[in-house]
Amino acid sequence: MTTGADTERLFPEGEIRTVSGGAAQPARFVPGQPDMWVFVFFEALVFTAYFTVYIVSRSRSPDLFLKSQAHLNLRVGVFNTLVLLASSWAVARSVQAARERSFRSALTNAFLTLFFGFVFLVSKVLEWAAEIGQGFTFTTDEFFSFYYFLTAIHFIHLLIGFIVLTVAVYQLWSPARRSQEVIETCATYWHTIDFLWVLIFALLYVMR
Amino acid sequence: MNARFEKRLLVVWLVLSAMTIAQLGVASVDRQAALTPNVEITSSAILLALIKVRIIFRQFMEVRHAPVLLCRLTDLWLVVTGATLLGCYLAGRLA
Repeated sequence: MTTGADTERLFPEGEIRTVSGGAAQPARFVPGQPDMWVFVFFEALVFTAYFTVYIVSRSRSPDLFLKSQAHLNLRVGVFNTLVLLASSWAVARSVQAARERSFRSALTNAFLTLFFGFVFLVSKVLEWAAEIGQGFTFTTDEFFSFYYFLTAIHFIHLLIGFIVLTVAVYQLWSPARRSQEVIETCATYWHTIDFLWVLIFALLYVMR
Repeated sequence: MNARFEKRLLVVWLVLSAMTIAQLGVASVDRQAALTPNVEITSSAILLALIKVRIIFRQFMEVRHAPVLLCRLTDLWLVVTGATLLGCYLAGRLA
């Protein structure tokens, strides 16, 4: 049974099922390809290991870490976080629009995601340039080694994210290529960049 | 786009942004040229981050519609990560 509030989801094989809303029992589905979720968990665990090594190292010389952390620009960190959250919002809208076959809206939101990603990229490069300009480089001390390592690894994921988003745009561009599963897979990767940054921001900029 | 979903996504984004601003507030407490160790600030920063990540999982990544196994695995990772990070930090403070 479906209601007016229900949303239909076009599955790759062309089947349409009700997934949410009203009195109907939501049908459960894995967003995107399951392989991408395996990759997400792998990346999440790898970053958990990085974060653990960072905190253990930090607890060995807390004064050094706090002294160096004070040189980071907290407001830039907040700005970058807000920008990436906006990009995640846009890609989530893109997925939803594609599901409803509003492909123009999906494409617009995919481009908006690329725009926010590019703003993050420029902001991060400018932040690095400012820090290097002040003499804080990878070899300055242990904190800055971790800072550049974590942000650079994340930056590489961001660059891969641009390629992934380009795939989503390519899919959305032509009716002959549109695959909801591929678009959801691309979005899942992009959200991973976002949630990893949320943790990096807390550990590098906020914690004491 | 479905107005209900559009509103939901907007509210999620606003909540996540508000939590980020809250983290700015937390980080600004007693922030001077020389930072000092602070268990409350660190704990709240990590917990706020984990809550934000769970919201991203559930709402943006649509884990709320996913099979139970995926829901449980994402929650398990959050619990393990939170326990590890807070545990290592607190153990380091006590040492």
